[in-house]
Amino acid sequence: MTGNTGNGGNSTGIRVASVDDIPEGEGIAISSDVTGTEDDIAILRDDDGTCWALNDTCTHETASLAEGWVEEGDVECPLHSSRFNLKTGKVDGLPATRDTVPHRVEVRDGEVYLFPGERP
Amino acid sequence: MTVASVVVVGGGVAGVSTVAELRKAGYAGELVLVSADAVPYDRPPLSKEYLAGGRDLESIALQPSQWYAEQEISLVGGAVAVAIRPDTGEVELDDGRLLAADKIVLATGGRAARPAVGAPSHVLRDVTDADRLRTSLVPGARLLIVGAGLIGAEVASTARGLGAEVVLVDPLDPPLAAAVGVEAARWLHGLHADHGVEAVTATVETLLETPTGVAAQLSGEPDSREFDAVLLAVGLVPETGLADAAGLETSRGVLVDAGQVASHPSVLAVGDCARLRDHHRAEHWEAAQLDGVRAAATILGTEPPPAAAPWWWSDRYGLHVEGVGEMRSPDAMHQNVVRGVLGEPPFSVFTLHGERVVGAVAVDDPNAVRAARRMIDRQVDVRASDLADTTQNLRKLL
Repeated sequence: MTGNTGNGGNSTGIRVASVDDIPEGEGIAISSDVTGTEDDIAILRDDDGTCWALNDTCTHETASLAEGWVEEGDVECPLHSSRFNLKTGKVDGLPATRDTVPHRVEVRDGEVYLFPGERP
Repeated sequence: MTVASVVVVGGGVAGVSTVAELRKAGYAGELVLVSADAVPYDRPPLSKEYLAGGRDLESIALQPSQWYAEQEISLVGGAVAVAIRPDTGEVELDDGRLLAADKIVLATGGRAARPAVGAPSHVLRDVTDADRLRTSLVPGARLLIVGAGLIGAEVASTARGLGAEVVLVDPLDPPLAAAVGVEAARWLHGLHADHGVEAVTATVETLLETPTGVAAQLSGEPDSREFDAVLLAVGLVPETGLADAAGLETSRGVLVDAGQVASHPSVLAVGDCARLRDHHRAEHWEAAQLDGVRAAATILGTEPPPAAAPWWWSDRYGLHVEGVGEMRSPDAMHQNVVRGVLGEPPFSVFTLHGERVVGAVAVDDPNAVRAARRMIDRQVDVRASDLADTTQNLRKLL
């Protein structure tokens, strides 16, 4: 995670959760009503404790990545185990073939801030 | 010997996985994929979303069509290999073309088993089968499905969704007990009746064509029943013709070693057409995909990933079922542990051998299976009481 809040985007981000609300290796979905994006956004916490954000809907079939298994830099889709890189959104494992979209998140004072549409 | 040319015969998930993994691992030589289909597609949707009409052929492609060119893979679509000549390094196509191949990878899959019956019947293995079957799945149509394994059950669910009247017949009661354990199998099989499918434990004695459809005589019934269409979902026959003709060792599959190498050192076999000597074929999507990963490693002389417990999924009536490893009936060495309440999804069942998980099956609880597969692969000791405790995070047991 960087502390950079520049890039001309939303300078403070949207506070979406306390980091302790997301167990390591799991995720939560933030509704598009809150994020203002087309898709919901999954906040995913890796097993090293870091937080990442990807579009929530798997690019293969309709499934929520927030309900997936997060481990060692990837999230594994709960339906067919497609794997996506937490940082880049790139496909790391079939059957998905289309990359997903990453978003920037920041953790400040134990709170998770999401910057929808900004690259990590 | 440096490998300069690889020809993969067969455009299912095993074949596509092989070419993808070769390129991913840096193989820069000639790479040809011979596929009977113009663009290789994924088969699991054929009994589900594709059959239901919710997805089209393009949306089930294994890779986007431009991917092959991007990866410098020569996709020879709509072609069939008629002979392989491993001694001279050649693959012959049905149009007479000869392809040079230092290594030949057979990924020819299998065909649906089709017992001789005296009536027209469907099978389900490719898109043509699915398109044809779909024309029979109209509201009120009477469909007989022979075989209540994963595919038979999936089609029953899809056919009900399309309004067909379905009779599902299988001699086993319950079917799938070997895959999911008898308790979960009984509950899963019971879903059919809950959704208006008549599930019958019987064998099919005769199928006869009638002026209006098919008459089926089921064992133990006084009269035959009339159907508009019949689907035979009774298993798969590995496609070993090319290997047989080339003199390779085959026995219910092209026999391969742990590196996917067949009895000729220039030939490898992957997916449903292959069988690891002294093992059963897994016949699951991921098993085929991982065969491709191993074959690529063998060709490049690199270390293949370690063997992993076989994993599969299936869907019926809106429920997502997954399994990993091997489920066993309880005996002196094994116990089955239910997490949650069996029959009230989400729930899962684990088979424990001592303190080691050897298998698990889950309904709408996929992360339980993901935890189980890591417990199996990493040989983690666990307690039955922890598995059964739904307040216990399974990840913490790893």
